[in-house]
Amino acid sequence: MTTTIQQSGNQMIALFSGRLDTAAAIPTAEAVKPLMEAENKEIILDCSQLEYISSSGLRIFLSIRKEAATLGSKVIVRSINADIRQVFVMTGFISLFEIQ
Amino acid sequence: MEALDLHCQFILDEYREVLPTLEQLKEKVLQTLREALDRNGLIVTAVEGRVKTEESLAGKLALKGAKYATLSDITDLVGARIVTFYTDDVDRIASMAEQLFEIDWDNSVDKRMLHQLDSFGYNSLHYICRVPGFDFRFELQLRTTLQHAWAAINHDTGYKSGIEIPREYMRRMNRLAGLLEMADDEFSRIRTEITDYRRRVQKLVQNGKLDDVLLDGDTFRSYLQAKPLETLNKRIAAINQAEIMETSLIRYLRVLKALQCNTLGDVSRLIKKYEEDAYLLARHQLGNTDLDIVSSAVGLQNICIVCILSSGGGKIGLERLFDALNGHNPHNAELAELTYQQAMNLPFLKNLNYGTKTD
Repeated sequence: MTTTIQQSGNQMIALFSGRLDTAAAIPTAEAVKPLMEAENKEIILDCSQLEYISSSGLRIFLSIRKEAATLGSKVIVRSINADIRQVFVMTGFISLFEIQ
Repeated sequence: MEALDLHCQFILDEYREVLPTLEQLKEKVLQTLREALDRNGLIVTAVEGRVKTEESLAGKLALKGAKYATLSDITDLVGARIVTFYTDDVDRIASMAEQLFEIDWDNSVDKRMLHQLDSFGYNSLHYICRVPGFDFRFELQLRTTLQHAWAAINHDTGYKSGIEIPREYMRRMNRLAGLLEMADDEFSRIRTEITDYRRRVQKLVQNGKLDDVLLDGDTFRSYLQAKPLETLNKRIAAINQAEIMETSLIRYLRVLKALQCNTLGDVSRLIKKYEEDAYLLARHQLGNTDLDIVSSAVGLQNICIVCILSSGGGKIGLERLFDALNGHNPHNAELAELTYQQAMNLPFLKNLNYGTKTD
């Protein structure tokens, strides 16, 4: 599992690649810390290469969203696969995130 | 500008010496006001402050320097202003200021009261106040956003006092002041009526008269305060011993209306009718996963899914639901298909589909 963060203008893009399971959650939480400090940005969680997300991964996404809301940033989840989209529905979080 | 006489020069010298103290006074005043507004739950448009600039003070001294024996006789060296949304709040904040500061009543003026019955113009409440520990007084201006807009535009015309304004423009500005006064009063009345409406709705909800309450944003929020979905959400969470994360359900308002819920009574009946099948859907979906976090929206979401499918809305209905919850997205069709396939094995849909052809 790798997480790469790029900044481009007003956007911060986090590219997740691999399986965001419980084991990967700790390094991923560390890697996304810059997103938690981004003020008035558009934060894109690019999941085009994310194969799987566990509850721990969901919690990371939720934390990013919570911090973003307090710092005036907006979070967009982009390019999730069908399985992960289904996870968002099963847990009821589909209406919480802007998913593209 | 004319050269200042010696007396005024002394006052200006004193001003330069005490400038840091004036800055401290300004900060103290603003901090005190902001904390008090927070404590009282008062939301305002702006809290701002300034220390009079040397240029502005020199101008004032040039005009009426003889009136002031010392610098401390000038009451607006430090100015603070609170701009409110509503006229009622001007009075509430005035009371608050009376508790916070020592008011110099002889020099304070409520300009709102100065107008004759047939005149309109600058409206603002000016208090001259003192903070214990500071020699200098400060001016606190309280006005509404509309009064502020009028004053700012009036100031922008470049005329310092009303007398200098050509009669025609003065009349037009004052007509606008009257118009804005009416608008301010109307905004206050609307706020009062909305508050009354919310109280009435809460009472109806508390008394269980849900059929008497039309479904809208306010009434839906009031209804949710009674936690009508808590039992269902807890049952769903128990499937995987999951944590429930509180999230807003306001996006479901549009969905509920589309499902023909016109009153809170309709919503209540919808929940009762479909909660068991909504739970079974969640158990079917979550039971094979280790997902141990769910949103507090999950119960209502599943109720909506079950309702749509039970009513024959099919995959298209589900797609519309996901469009409403998550914005229109080409992947929502795929999601609707997946959800439909999962629900197909559940009793409510099996019975419905028995012997019929589905879309």
